[in-house]
Amino acid sequence: MDTAPENVTKAMEIPMLLEVPVGPQHPALHEPVLLKVYASGERVVRVEVNTGYNHRGIEKLAEKNTFYKDIFLVGRVCGICNTVHANCYVRALEALLDKEPPERAKYLRVLAMELERLHSHMLIEAVMAEILGYDTLFMHIMRDRELIMKAKEILTGARVLADYMMVGGVRRDLNNEKIRRLNEILDKVEPRLNYYMKLFEEDVTIRKRLEGVGVIPPRDIINYGLLGPIARASGLKMDARLQDGYDAYRDVPFRIIVRDDKDSLGRMLLRWEEALNSLEMCRYILKNLPEGEAVPDEKRLSRVFPKGEVFTTVEAPRGELTYYVMSAGGTQPYRVKIRTPSFNNIINSGFVYIDHELADVPVILVSFDPCISCMERVTVIDYRKGTRRKVPIKEVVRGNA
Amino acid sequence: MKSGVLKEVIKNLFSKPATIEYPKEKTIIEPDARGRHYADLQKCIGCSLCMIECPTKAITMEKIPEGYEKPKKNPKGMYPVINYLKCIFCYRCVTMCPTLAYVTTPEYRLATEKPIFSRELSLKTLKGGEGDGRD
Amino acid sequence: MPESDVGEPLKELAKEIQEMKVGRVVVILDPEKVEEAFRKLQERYGYLNVYLSTIVGTDLKSEGKIRMDYYVNVFSESTYVVLRTFIERDDPKIKTMLNISKAAFSGECETYDLLGVKFEGNPYLKRSFFVPKDVAEKGVFPLRKDSGV
Repeated sequence: MDTAPENVTKAMEIPMLLEVPVGPQHPALHEPVLLKVYASGERVVRVEVNTGYNHRGIEKLAEKNTFYKDIFLVGRVCGICNTVHANCYVRALEALLDKEPPERAKYLRVLAMELERLHSHMLIEAVMAEILGYDTLFMHIMRDRELIMKAKEILTGARVLADYMMVGGVRRDLNNEKIRRLNEILDKVEPRLNYYMKLFEEDVTIRKRLEGVGVIPPRDIINYGLLGPIARASGLKMDARLQDGYDAYRDVPFRIIVRDDKDSLGRMLLRWEEALNSLEMCRYILKNLPEGEAVPDEKRLSRVFPKGEVFTTVEAPRGELTYYVMSAGGTQPYRVKIRTPSFNNIINSGFVYIDHELADVPVILVSFDPCISCMERVTVIDYRKGTRRKVPIKEVVRGNA
Repeated sequence: MKSGVLKEVIKNLFSKPATIEYPKEKTIIEPDARGRHYADLQKCIGCSLCMIECPTKAITMEKIPEGYEKPKKNPKGMYPVINYLKCIFCYRCVTMCPTLAYVTTPEYRLATEKPIFSRELSLKTLKGGEGDGRD
Repeated sequence: MPESDVGEPLKELAKEIQEMKVGRVVVILDPEKVEEAFRKLQERYGYLNVYLSTIVGTDLKSEGKIRMDYYVNVFSESTYVVLRTFIERDDPKIKTMLNISKAAFSGECETYDLLGVKFEGNPYLKRSFFVPKDVAEKGVFPLRKDSGV
C-alpha cells in the first residue's frame, strides 16, 4: 500500500528491522491488543495490529437469544459505552415494532448517553496523562470522573452497566430530589473540566508530546473510514447525532465541535470541548425535562416481532456505532450486526504510526481512544498494514531474526 | 498557570483524601441502586416468568421444602432461586414479575468463596416478616 | 431527514431501489457493479462526503445465497445508501473494495472470517486468527446458520 516510506524495501533486504511487540497485555489502555511495531532504529516502519485476544462471539449469541435478552447482552459488549449500545439496539427494535418512546424517555436517554460521553472522554484523557508520565493528572481526572459515575448511579441505578434502555422508554425515572443532586454534581465537575482543558492547552510537556504527532489528513480519514472525534479533529463535520437526529437530539441544542489540528493534541482537546458541551446538554435536559411517563410496563411489550430489517446508528463517545437488526418474525433476531467505532478506528489505522518515533506509538494509540472489547465482540483479525513488499512478512521477519 | 498548580497543591494538601478506606469505611451507595434481590414468597405465585426471561439463566425454580407453610396463591409450590454469581443485576426479573414479588436491596458486597443463592432470604419471608434481607 | 433521491446517480446500475428503516436507501445490484456504484456516489457527492461505513454479510440459508450489504454513509446528504448484492452460498466470492476504499479492510476480513466470503484481490484475508483456532481448523464459519456453533 501507498503509505510506506520509499526505503522500506531496502530495509528489508538489509536485516535492520527491529520487531517490537507493544502489548498484548496493555499497550496503553488496560485491554488486550498487540501492535507489532517494526522499527528501523527509533523510526517506525510498519505496524501490524494483531487482535483476537478478546473474542466473545456476541453476534452469534444474539441470534440464539430472544430480542429482549439481547438488550442486556449488547449492553455488555463494552462497559464504557454500554448505554449507547443498548440505545442503538433498542431503537432498532422500536423501529421494527413501529413504536415511539414518550418525550420524557427520549430526554432521559440522551441524558444517560451524554453522561456516558463525559466519563468516557475523561477516562481517555486520564489515560493519556498516564501514558505521558503525568500520573498525578491521571489521578485527579479519575477522581473527578468518579463524580460522573455517581451521577450515572443516581440516574440508572448502577455505576457502570446501566441497563437503562428498554423498548418504549427507559427503566427508571427521575424525581426532583435526584435532579437537584445531579445538578450539584454537574456544578462541581464543570470548573474541573475547564481547568483540565486549559492544562492540556497550555502545559509545555503535554504540548511537546502531542503536537504534530499522528497527523491524519481528511482524505485519509475518509479513505480508511475513521470515525468520531478522530474525524472531527481533522476538520470533518460528521456526527451521527446530527445525521440521524435520534431520540431528543433534535430538541436538545448541541454544538458539533470540529477542529483543524489533525494531530493527537487536537483530538484530546476536542474531547475536552465535547465533554464541556455534554455537560451543558445535561444541564439543559435537567432543566427542560418534559412531564409525563417514561417507564414502560415491560410485561405488556410485544414479545413477537414482525418481519423486517433496521439499520440504526448512534454517536458513541468513540464515533459512530451502527447496528443492523434483521428479524424473520418470531421472538429471536435472524441477524444482528454490530459495527463499533473502534473496529474501524483501530484496525484500519496502522498507517498513522509510520515514520514516528517508537515512543509515540502508545500516544497515538491512546489518542484514538481504543476500546478493544468493543472491537472484538465479533471478530478476531490478523491485520498487516501494507508496505510494497513482494515477500510475505513472516518470511521477512524470520529472515531478519 | 504556575499559580494554578500551586493552588491545587495547597488545596489537596489540606483536603480529605479522595479515596475511601474500604472495607473499614462503607462506600455510600444510592438506596435504589441495583443490588441483591430476592423473591418475597408471600407474593410469589410460582409462574416461572422470571426464570424464562433471565438473560443469564441465573434463576432456577425449586419446590418449597417441607415444613414451610405453602401460600395459597402458589398452587405449584415453586419459587425462584437466584444464583448471584451468575446474576448480572439487570433487574429484568424484578420488572417482569406479574405480582411485583421481588424485594430489592442496594447490597453489593456479595464476594464469597462459596456459590451464593437467594434460597435462605426467600424462605425467610415465608416464616413471616423476620429480616428484610439487609445486613 | 432522509432524501429519497440520494440513490439517483445509481438508477442505471440498480436492479431495484428499496427503502429500509430508518430512512435508508437500499440499492440492489449485481455483485460486479458494487465498486462502480461506490465510485459513482463519490463522483456525485464528493470524495470527502462519502465513506464506506460497514459491510454486513447475512447467511440466507433457505435461499442458498449470502447477502452482502455495503453501507455507505453519504453524510453531506445525511443518509445511508445500502449497496446490496447476493452471491452464491456454495462458492461465495466477490471483488474486494480495497482498491477504492481502505475502510473495507476491517469489514472484509471479518466477513471472510465469520461467513467465509472470499474477497478477490484482498491479500490480507486469513483464518485461524479470527475465531478460536479449534473452530477455524475445522473449517467452520461461525455465522453460517448451519455451523453448529
